[in-house]
Amino acid sequence: MAWRMLMTGEDQFRKRCALALSEMLVVSLNPIDGFWPPYVIAAYWDLLNAQAFGNYRTLLEEITLNPAMGFYLNTRGNQKADPATGRVPDENYAREIMQLFTIGLTQLNSDGTPKLDAQGKTQDTYSQSDITNLAKVFTGYDWNYDRVTWQSVPWLTYKIPSPEFSRDRMKLDAAKHSNEAISFLGVTIPANTAGTEALKIALDTLFNHPNTPPFVAKQMIQRLITSNPSPAYVGRVAAAFVNNGTGVRGDMKSLWRAILLDPEARTLSGGVTAGKLREPIVRFAQWARTFQVSSLTGKWEIYDTSNGDWGLGQSPLRSPSVFNFFRPGYVPPQTALSANQLVAPEFQIHNETTTAGYLNFLTSIIKSGYQDVKPDYSAIIGISHQTRELLDWLNLYLAAGQVSGTTLDLVQSALDAQPLTSTSSETAKLDRIYSAILLVMASPEYLVQK
Amino acid sequence: MNSSSIHNVSRRVFLARAGALGGMGLAAPMAMSLAAAGEAAAFSASDYKALVCIFLYGGNDCHNTLIPTDIPNYDRYSAIRGGASGRKRGGIAYGLDELVALKPVVNQTLTDDLSYGLAPSLIKTAALFNSGKLAIQLNVGPLVVPVTRVQFQSGAVPLPPKLFSHNDQQSVWQALGAEGATVGWGGRIGDLALSSNTNSLLTCISASGNAVFLSGNDALQYQISPGGAIPIWAAKGASFGSSRASEVLKTLITEPRAHVLENEFTKVTKRSMVMEDIVNTALNPITLTTSFDTDNKPNSLANQLKIVARLIGARSALGSKRQVFFVSLGGFDTHDGLMETHPNLLALIDEALSSFYAGTVELGVENQVTTFTASDFGRTLTSNGDGSDHGWGGHHFVMGGAVKGGRYFGTAPQVSITSDDQVGQGRLLPSTSVDQMASTLARWLGASESELPTILPRIGNFSSSNLGYFST
Repeated sequence: MAWRMLMTGEDQFRKRCALALSEMLVVSLNPIDGFWPPYVIAAYWDLLNAQAFGNYRTLLEEITLNPAMGFYLNTRGNQKADPATGRVPDENYAREIMQLFTIGLTQLNSDGTPKLDAQGKTQDTYSQSDITNLAKVFTGYDWNYDRVTWQSVPWLTYKIPSPEFSRDRMKLDAAKHSNEAISFLGVTIPANTAGTEALKIALDTLFNHPNTPPFVAKQMIQRLITSNPSPAYVGRVAAAFVNNGTGVRGDMKSLWRAILLDPEARTLSGGVTAGKLREPIVRFAQWARTFQVSSLTGKWEIYDTSNGDWGLGQSPLRSPSVFNFFRPGYVPPQTALSANQLVAPEFQIHNETTTAGYLNFLTSIIKSGYQDVKPDYSAIIGISHQTRELLDWLNLYLAAGQVSGTTLDLVQSALDAQPLTSTSSETAKLDRIYSAILLVMASPEYLVQK
Repeated sequence: MNSSSIHNVSRRVFLARAGALGGMGLAAPMAMSLAAAGEAAAFSASDYKALVCIFLYGGNDCHNTLIPTDIPNYDRYSAIRGGASGRKRGGIAYGLDELVALKPVVNQTLTDDLSYGLAPSLIKTAALFNSGKLAIQLNVGPLVVPVTRVQFQSGAVPLPPKLFSHNDQQSVWQALGAEGATVGWGGRIGDLALSSNTNSLLTCISASGNAVFLSGNDALQYQISPGGAIPIWAAKGASFGSSRASEVLKTLITEPRAHVLENEFTKVTKRSMVMEDIVNTALNPITLTTSFDTDNKPNSLANQLKIVARLIGARSALGSKRQVFFVSLGGFDTHDGLMETHPNLLALIDEALSSFYAGTVELGVENQVTTFTASDFGRTLTSNGDGSDHGWGGHHFVMGGAVKGGRYFGTAPQVSITSDDQVGQGRLLPSTSVDQMASTLARWLGASESELPTILPRIGNFSSSNLGYFST
């Protein structure tokens, strides 16, 4: 589902942004069960796409009340405390909305660097008490069956719902919502505040927290541009989040524009730690878009590619946990990165198995496609015998010209070892194309996007 | 060790290694030199020993793993977790009659005269305990120094960073520091073991994903799939009919690069290619008759432990004397549906532990392999309706023929949400530190008293570096 959307359609940038958001505001299909799990996760993907160019405050509220998120981080069915049984509200969403979706663990300056106290130590943004308090806000919610119709099927003894609930906001049951006073991050929500109002105060507090702009800005830069943006770059993007120029905070268009048009994004630094490892999902989607894949059956039978032995070690909306496939703070051990306190998130899923898995996966899809999804090499078959033209084309479309002349020479020497002319067989021409794509997409200069 | 000296060591090691790599062709015996033994002292090893860490990602609910069976304490557990009347299952509490009895091999008097059983799906694990092959470490977790509840609340003593946060506590368990730490204690043990092994890269092996646990100052993690090492087919034979293309591919994906990220990609890929031949050749003849699929259900943990067992079986061919392995199972963040999901997860552990122990018996190394569990944290004793929330200390298994099994180590926590050995809602305040557990295991593998602070810089903050899991 998500694969088809990533691989086709005119609104490529929206989907790229939605994919980036899906790796910070993580929901994974894996644990979702009950009725219509594919619809539930699809609605979350639709939500990220719909809100990708909206406002972060709206996005925050929509994901909070989304059925998939409700299931994944347990707001669904969360109830107020019951002194009789000792039951207390579930803390999961309260913790992760702070740690992962808005403010993070450590107080930040507006450029994303940690705020240090007089002793040079970082300062926490919240305590366990803040979480226990905020958890009360997220009580009383459950999937909304108002628009659902219930149908009998011959093979079940109970009725099943139609899937509208997967798209509708969760519903608040005031009787299950905590009416206790809430005190978190210096804000007090008085006892007996209505659930909707309590949610508004809580989300406004997180949205307006000084950490949120640099926290979101840095991670989105990491997803799209570079693993280690300069503080100044983060600061500029955070400022665009704070104010889009017309006084609006949280404008996502302003955020993306600031990320992409920044001098640091548009200039090749030449530094030996610049850029980021392209993540496997993006490599596969890029290949598919470049060669305009289509589905023979219309089913787009690409499901879970997260097996590292034969797949990509990664698959959209199938993260192993809410911490994504890799963490923004991952440091590959024993590298110049670790020596210089730099990060390289995507390397968390790069190891002896996944590097072999990717190269085998690549070799296979180039020639055979993936299940019913097949590539179309008609755009380049006409230049397949003109080796350098072919390679220049691939370098431009796949690597934005970042594969060096030295590497292209080496690849050309390999391709020219199998002579080819314009009158050679189609099979020979395709073999040339397969080899050329493999060598470009296996080359480190392609794999590390500068 | 402060952070700047860690960085200096890393830089020095990196520069040394980068230099070594630069001058080396692919045909060089890099398996030996990739994780070159550095300044660290070495174990003197003539026999074989291995440590196996089973990491339970998500925070295992310790309160529903090891459960009171004596009436007063069971009733406390049941009352807090919403058990039904008649001591039956209810809320997130098991029924008393469901629990699997543990029969310690020696008399031990625990806090409040506690006696324990295991969750219903841990039948084989209980049998391992009862036959003296498995011990239970009570209430262990990250600490900087021993701490009381009053000190915790007042902030009077240093605490582990980012308590209750998944990713950070995983890192603290594995590497004694929050996310971003790059040297784990498994890797530091590995540093001392590198020179014991013919293929030093096969000192620290993960059958799960990348884990900071296995990165040392010198030791690198080697990652293997449950099926063995994965060959890169296009680099092994002709690629789309062209042997020259295959050769160029091999060059591209393995040559040293000036760009650090590119170099990291090719370094790992080169390791992958070189080790694949060595490892698969050694693994091919190693087949075990022990079943790792006794329950006839998918079990990724058992699959990982099977490849660990096969690698141990190939120890002579690979020249391995001292190894540290890492395997994992996810899904333990049971905020919801605890009584549905957790028993299934424990059943996977049960099958994996018993199969792996049997596998080591088949290989004749049951006394030379020690396996232990670890997890982000324990969980709250209170219920949030149908699950539990993030905690701190938890209970863990230590298994192996060398282990003084059938015993409890450490101090049993009271079954309470108000006592001084918890910090609210039954989040256990650890009475034993990860450092102490680690040092006990490191000693067994061969670390000397003087080497312990290298592996565990804060071990001096605790009264004992030997918890007594082993007879020798």
